[in-house]
Amino acid sequence: MAAIIEPNLQHRDSAGSVARRRTNFVIFLGPAIVLTAIFFMIPVLIDIAVSFTDLDRTLRFGKFTTEQYHKVFRGDPRLAQVIGLTLVYVFGTLAVFNVTFGLVLALTTTALNKISGGFFRGVWLLPRMSPSVLYILLWLWVINPSDAGLLNQFLMQTVGLAKPLDLLTSAPVALIIIANGFIGASMGMIIFTAAIRGIPEHLFYAAAVDGAGTLAQIQFITLPALRWPISFVTIYQTLSLLVSFEYILLLTKGGPFYDTTVYALYVYRRAFASGQYGYGAALALFLIVIGVAVALLGWRFFDLQRLLQRPRIEVH
Amino acid sequence: MARVEFRHVAKRFGDVEAVRDMNLTIEDGEFVALLGPSGCGKSTSLFMLAGIYLPNGGKLLFDGRVVNEVEARDRNVGIVFQSYALYPHMTVRDNILFPLRFKRVPREAALRRASAAASLVQVKDLLDRRPGELSGGQQQRVALARALVKEPQLLLLDEPLSNLDATLRLTMRTEIKALQKKLGITTILVTHDQIEATTMADRIICMRAGGIEQIGAPDDLYREPQSLFIAAFIGSPPINLIRGEAGDGTLRAGPVTFPFEGGAGAVTLGLRPEHLNFADAGLNGRIAQIEPMGREILYVIETDIGYARVLEHGSAAAYAAGEPVNVHFSPVDSLVFDTATERLIAGARAHPPMISR
Amino acid sequence: MAALTELQRLPGDWDGLAARARSLRRAKAAALYAFLIAVSLPIILPYFWLVTIAFSAKTGVADTMVLWRSTAVFVPTVIAFWLAAILAQNRRQMWLAITAIGLIATAAFALLIGPDLHPRNFIFLVEPDFASVVRSRSGVVRGAVQFPSVWKAFGNSLLIAGAQTVIVLTVASLAAYYLSRFQFPARAAMLRSLLVLHAFPVLTLIVPMFLMLYWMGLLDTLFGVILVLVAFELPFAVFIMKGFFDAVPWDIEMSALTDGASRRQAFLRVVLPQVRNGLLAIAVFTFIRGWEEYIFVFTFLIRNTNWTMSLYMYYVRDDVMGVDYGVVSAVGVFYLVPSLVLYLAAQRYLMQMSIGGVKG
Repeated sequence: MAAIIEPNLQHRDSAGSVARRRTNFVIFLGPAIVLTAIFFMIPVLIDIAVSFTDLDRTLRFGKFTTEQYHKVFRGDPRLAQVIGLTLVYVFGTLAVFNVTFGLVLALTTTALNKISGGFFRGVWLLPRMSPSVLYILLWLWVINPSDAGLLNQFLMQTVGLAKPLDLLTSAPVALIIIANGFIGASMGMIIFTAAIRGIPEHLFYAAAVDGAGTLAQIQFITLPALRWPISFVTIYQTLSLLVSFEYILLLTKGGPFYDTTVYALYVYRRAFASGQYGYGAALALFLIVIGVAVALLGWRFFDLQRLLQRPRIEVH
Repeated sequence: MARVEFRHVAKRFGDVEAVRDMNLTIEDGEFVALLGPSGCGKSTSLFMLAGIYLPNGGKLLFDGRVVNEVEARDRNVGIVFQSYALYPHMTVRDNILFPLRFKRVPREAALRRASAAASLVQVKDLLDRRPGELSGGQQQRVALARALVKEPQLLLLDEPLSNLDATLRLTMRTEIKALQKKLGITTILVTHDQIEATTMADRIICMRAGGIEQIGAPDDLYREPQSLFIAAFIGSPPINLIRGEAGDGTLRAGPVTFPFEGGAGAVTLGLRPEHLNFADAGLNGRIAQIEPMGREILYVIETDIGYARVLEHGSAAAYAAGEPVNVHFSPVDSLVFDTATERLIAGARAHPPMISR
Repeated sequence: MAALTELQRLPGDWDGLAARARSLRRAKAAALYAFLIAVSLPIILPYFWLVTIAFSAKTGVADTMVLWRSTAVFVPTVIAFWLAAILAQNRRQMWLAITAIGLIATAAFALLIGPDLHPRNFIFLVEPDFASVVRSRSGVVRGAVQFPSVWKAFGNSLLIAGAQTVIVLTVASLAAYYLSRFQFPARAAMLRSLLVLHAFPVLTLIVPMFLMLYWMGLLDTLFGVILVLVAFELPFAVFIMKGFFDAVPWDIEMSALTDGASRRQAFLRVVLPQVRNGLLAIAVFTFIRGWEEYIFVFTFLIRNTNWTMSLYMYYVRDDVMGVDYGVVSAVGVFYLVPSLVLYLAAQRYLMQMSIGGVKG
C-alpha cells in the first residue's frame, strides 16, 4: 500500500524526485500563480501607486502627490452624500430583500410540495439567471415614464391613475433598492432553502406532537438552525452590495445627477466619465481594503480544519 | 387513558402501499409491540397514531372517537423517535419544558413537572446540559421525559433501543417496562428486534408488507406461529426449515423419511435449534462447525438434507468437528406449514427418523 | 403522577378539533399560494410580455391590445392553477386539473393572439442594418449607432465565454488538485490567501485594470478581456474545485500509485474522472458568467466589431427602444434563451456548488 509517511519535510529524496517536485509545482500551480499575480496583485499595486499621482484624462503622469487623498477627506462636497446614499442602499436592500424576503421565500416555498416550491423558486431565480442588460431592459420598460410604460398602463387601467408616474425622477433610490433586491432575495432564498432542507424532519414531527403549530415550529426549530446561514448571507451580501453597481449603472446611470450614485459607481464615474483616474484610484483603494477585511472576517464561516487538511500522500 | 383502534386503516405514499387494511384494537393500559422487518409499515402506523401522517383510508379511533384529521398537537400523545429528535439548541430542561409551553402551564408548575419527569427517568443532574453533550442513553431518557411530561394518554416508541449498545439496551428495557407498569399508560412500541418485543410487550403485533401477520402474546408467537414468516422471524437462532412431500404417514425430504401424521402434500417442517438434541438415534449427520456462545453452544450439523443448527446448553463442547451424531427431537416441538400457503397446519406432527449410526 | 390532574383531561370535542384542523390546513395552503403568486406575478409578467411582444408587435406602434389580451388569458390561468392546487384532493386530481387548464389556456391564447403572431421582429437576424430599416419604416430620423451584424456579436460572446471556460477549467483543475493533494512549503499560506481571494470583490479593481490593459496595449481587444475575466474567475473556481478534489477518497489514488502510475498519471486517469461533476459545474457557471458579462466588456471594449451580445443588447435598447419595441424584445429573447437553457440544464450542478465548504 502506498505510504502514509509521517510528514518530514527534510526527507532526502533522490535527485530525480526533487526535479519532479519542482516540475509538478510549475505545471500545476504555475499558470494560476502567474495569472493571479498579474491580474490581482499588480492591479492592487497599480491602484495604490496611481492614487498617489495626478493621473487624468490625458493618461500621462504629472507628479506624485497626495492631493487625491486630500480630496477624499476634505475637498469633495459630493462624497458625503454618496457615502450616505450607499449606506441607505446597502442596508436597505440587505435588510428588506436579501435577508428578510429571502427568508420569507425560503420558508414559504419549502412549506409547499417539492414541485410547486421548486416552481416558485425558479421564478424568483429568473432575475438572477437573466443577463443584467436584459433584466434592466425589462425594468426600464415597466417604469417607462410615458403612457407606454407597463406599470403606468397597469395603474391607469386598474386604479385610474391620472398622470403617468415617472419613478426614475420621483423615487430613484427606491427603484435601485427594489431592482437589486429581487436579485439579492434569490441569493438568500437559495442558501436558506438549502439550510432548511438540512434540518432533520423528525425535529418537526417531535415539535408537532409536543404541541407546536406552524409559527412555533418556525420560531423554535427553523430559525435557530438558520443562525449561521443568516450571518453568512449578511456579511457576504453586504460586501457584494457595497462593490456592485452594474444594475444601478444600467438602470439610472447614477442619476438624476448623483442621486443614485453609490460609492462604487462614484468611483467609476469619476474615473471614466470625468477622467479623474488618480482620484478614482484613491477612492477605489478604500473599497479594496474593505473587501479584504470582509473576506478575512468571512474566515469564521469556513471549516478551516477541513480546508487545510494535510494531504496523505507524500511522494511526487 | 386511551383505547386505540385501527379500522381498515390504509396509507399510501405515491404508488407505494405502506399500510393496507389494518385492523387492530389496543386496550387501555396495554403495552404492545409492532414487530416486523423494515418497510412493513410499523413506523407508518405509529406516525398515523401520532398525527404526523394522514391515513388515506379507514378510521383511527381513540376511545371510540374518530381522530383521523385531528392535529398532532391536539391528540395528547407522547412520542420518542429513534433519533430522539431532541432540540439541539435548547438545554435538557428546556427540551422537557417544551410541550408544557403549549398547554399554557404557569412557569412554577411547569418547572415542577419537568423536575418530576426528569427524576422519573433519572436525568435530574443533566438538566443544564445540551443534547450534544449527552450520551445516547441519556438522550433517550431525556426524550422519554419530554414525551411523558405532558402526561399523555398514549405513549409511542419508535425503535427506542436500536441506537444503544448491548448493556444499555438491557437496562433500558427493564426501565421502560417498569415505567409503563407504574404509570399505566397505553404504550405502543415499534421494533424490528424480536427480543425487544418479546421481553417488553404484553402483546406482539407482527407485521409484514403493510399488513398484520399475527397477533398474540410473546409465548403464543413462539410456540404456535401461524405462518412460516412468524416462525422464521421469532426465535434466535433462527428455526431450521425442511421442505418435503407428505403422505401415507411419512414426510419425504430428499433421501430422508420422517414418520408423519396430520397432512399431505407439499409441506415445510420447522424445527427450532433449541428443541433439537443429540441422542442414540435420529437424523444422521456430522458436526460441521462449533460456535461457542458462552452459555450455550451452537452446532452446525451437515445432514443428508442440508445444514441444521442445534443449540445445546453448556460451555464445553461435548463433540468435535467431524464427529457423526444423531439429531433427535420431540414430535410435540415440530411445526408443520403448508409450503404453498405458508400457514401452520395445526395438529400435524413429524417424528425423528430413528436411525442410529 | 398516577393521579389524574388537569393535564389529563381528555379533549372532548374530537370532531370539532378535526374540523378545525381541516379548515386550518386549507386556509394555510390557500394563503401560501396566494402570497407566492402575488409576489411572483410582477416577475413573470415582464418576461411573458417580452416574449409576446417579440412575436407580435408591429413597427412604431406600441400595440398594447395584444399585450392586454395575452394578460387576460394569463392571469385567469394562474388563478385557476392556484385554485386547483388548493382544492385538489390528491395528486391525480391536481395533474388532471393542471393539464385541463393548460390546454384551455393554450387554446384561448391561440385564438386570441395567434393571428397576431409574426416573426418580422427578428429582422436583425438577417439584416445587419436593421436599425435604419426600422427607423425609415416609422419615419424617425435619428440614431448614430452603427450596428454590427448580430452574428458577429454572438460570435464574440461565444468566443469570450468559451475561451474563458476552457482556460479556467484547465488552470483551476490543475491548481486545485495540487493544493488539495500535494504537500509543499507554502501550502497553508496559499490556502489562506485562496480563502481571501475567492470572495474578493473584483469589481473594485476595474480602474487599475483599465489602466493596466491600456499600458499593455490590450485595451479594446478580445484577448485582453478574456485574460481579465479568466483571472477574476480563477480563485472562485479553484476554491470550488478544491472542494471536489478533497472529496475524492485517498484510497483510489493510493492504489493507482501502487499499480505503477506516477502522480501526474494518477491525476489524469483516476482522480480527474472522479470530479466530473465539479468540472461540469465550473464549466457551466463560467460560461454563463462570460455570456452575461457586461461591465467589463463595456469598459474595456470600444469598437463595435468587438461588441458582445450584452453590448449589442444594450445599444439596441438605447437606440431603438423608443421607436420599435418589437425588435428590442426580439433581440432580448434571442439573448435570453441561451442563458435560460444553460441554467436549466445545469441547475443541479449549480446547487451543489453554492454551499461547498461552509460550516453550520
